[in-house]
Amino acid sequence: MIHLNYRLALRNIFRNTRRTGLTVFLIASGLAALLFTDAFIRGMSVSMIKTSTETFLGDAQIHKQGFREANDIDIYLKDNAHLYQTLENIKQIKNYAPRVITGAMLSSSENVTSVIVYGVEAKREMQVSKLKQAMLKGVFLSDKKGEIIIGDDLADLLEVDLGDRLVITLSQAHGGDLSQALFRVSGIYHFDDRFMNKGIAVINLQQGKEIINIQGVHEIVLRLDSVDQASDKSIKLWDELNNNELETLSWRQLIPQLSNILDMSQYSTLIVSIIMSLLVALGLINSMFMSIYERHHEFGILLAIGTRPHQLFWLILLEGLYIALLSVMAGLLLGGLLSYWKSIAGIDYSGAEFSGVSMSEPVYLVIDILAFIKISGFILMITVLSCVYPALHAARLQPSLAMKKVL
Amino acid sequence: MSHVIETKKLCRSFGKEETLVKALSDVNLIIEEGEFTAIIGPSGSGKSTLLQLVGGLDEPTSGDIFLDSKKISQMSGTELSDFRRDHIGFIFQAYNLIPVLSAEENIEYIMLLQNVPAQERSKRVKEILQAVGLQGKENRRPAQLSGGQQQRVAVARAMVSQPRLILADEPTANLDSHTGAALLDMMKQLNEKENMTFVFSTHDPMVMERANRIIKLHDGCIVGDERRSA
Repeated sequence: MIHLNYRLALRNIFRNTRRTGLTVFLIASGLAALLFTDAFIRGMSVSMIKTSTETFLGDAQIHKQGFREANDIDIYLKDNAHLYQTLENIKQIKNYAPRVITGAMLSSSENVTSVIVYGVEAKREMQVSKLKQAMLKGVFLSDKKGEIIIGDDLADLLEVDLGDRLVITLSQAHGGDLSQALFRVSGIYHFDDRFMNKGIAVINLQQGKEIINIQGVHEIVLRLDSVDQASDKSIKLWDELNNNELETLSWRQLIPQLSNILDMSQYSTLIVSIIMSLLVALGLINSMFMSIYERHHEFGILLAIGTRPHQLFWLILLEGLYIALLSVMAGLLLGGLLSYWKSIAGIDYSGAEFSGVSMSEPVYLVIDILAFIKISGFILMITVLSCVYPALHAARLQPSLAMKKVL
Repeated sequence: MSHVIETKKLCRSFGKEETLVKALSDVNLIIEEGEFTAIIGPSGSGKSTLLQLVGGLDEPTSGDIFLDSKKISQMSGTELSDFRRDHIGFIFQAYNLIPVLSAEENIEYIMLLQNVPAQERSKRVKEILQAVGLQGKENRRPAQLSGGQQQRVAVARAMVSQPRLILADEPTANLDSHTGAALLDMMKQLNEKENMTFVFSTHDPMVMERANRIIKLHDGCIVGDERRSA
């Protein structure tokens, strides 16, 4: 009986090839769209994280406890060989770079503006941020005194170019005495980020320490083996580098707004999935009902000659399963190919800004096989479940009414 | 002879109040085993309704139906399905074969429902195809068969499980006289040989000629019941 039911169900779904084709197309398109959306949101998340962390932020940062709240240059990590040795010994830390940070006035012969001055160690900075790659003109820092690099928007504002003089005026640590230093523009960079281009000036670490008058750093930027480790609180670096002295935060804590957006994007996928699944389910219920109404007479015959109602129910569910399997295979193929293509070719979003994050590179879709399997399984389940109501309707038919006066 | 069918005060109405139509009124009927009965009457006299009720395809408004002394109104849906499957064969005016199954599969279907072993199924399908003269056409689907051939498949399907009762609704109505006569002769032969009970609803004089009992219905009431030697 089972074998004949398989054959019967298979032949039934190909009785009206146009309808079956359209139904399969509807479900497969829905599934392909869902898979593509999932891969796109994953790609977008990766791209946004990458843009945010690789540009300048790093995967994590170490500060002295209280620095971030007070933003006070007096709160700094004193030069400590033991701390750097600890960082060297933690295997998840790929690179690190110390920085000093202070607010300052930056003046040229033409103009003056307030900026955040960063003092960085050129060789280490290259390993954790994209400052060097962002250079438009001139050269990156080389640890020589008097070098300064600024963004192109800031250069326009101050009306300076390579070699021109700039004066930094700032309030020193330990008392607040004013300090001034003369620099010559050694390089001009460009990021797809207005703040980076207009609000920051970067000098060498040693000179930064001197003009701020500290023997230490305000921040140590960490580059980890994998960006995912920033969310993995089980790895020991978070325990080791968080104590009364040190505060170590991942990018998720440093830019919580991005973290929230990424969490929300998962809900967006879920909402899109639910809407898509509802459309698929309604389309399928409609299609199955059309097919069942067309075959009322035939179901009446099947019931009349002794088919049990539950056998008829399973026959229709089996037809639904075949349609679901066909649709899922087609959808997986379509969605998989499209996602794979865009995971290599990417979608050009360069220049666009999402939630304050400027996309500097194309978005490359990220295919998560497990997510693809889960989504396909979900659509398969929805498709089969959508057939339950039409199947129940058919199983409850009264043979004489279904056959309508044939006998 | 045992009673295959017995109805007591069988009534069936359709509609409500002003639109109420009484299709059958107080029908008391006994069909004995081995009878070749024709139920005749004008259109709307209740022939088809009576066959539907007797076959357990419809529910009476009142009254009782006994098939092999079992009251069918007390059976659950599944019990009724099993009863129809094991005890009743249906032949319909419009053949009513499953279009996606071949002739052989249409005949085999009922035995699959009965869980008849594959070897036995194959043997019985071959025998019945030979009996109805359809050897060589077993793999054809209904659309590839003529009307007469389709009705032969329908007859074979009704008889292959060797039911005690065969209910046939105008089985010759869509056939030419020659094909109809041949089919009726075949059924008569099976009736005599296997002692199967046949109940026909018909207008066809050829059926009446061969019947050994003719029941006349008019406006839902039995108005005549003639037994004769065919």
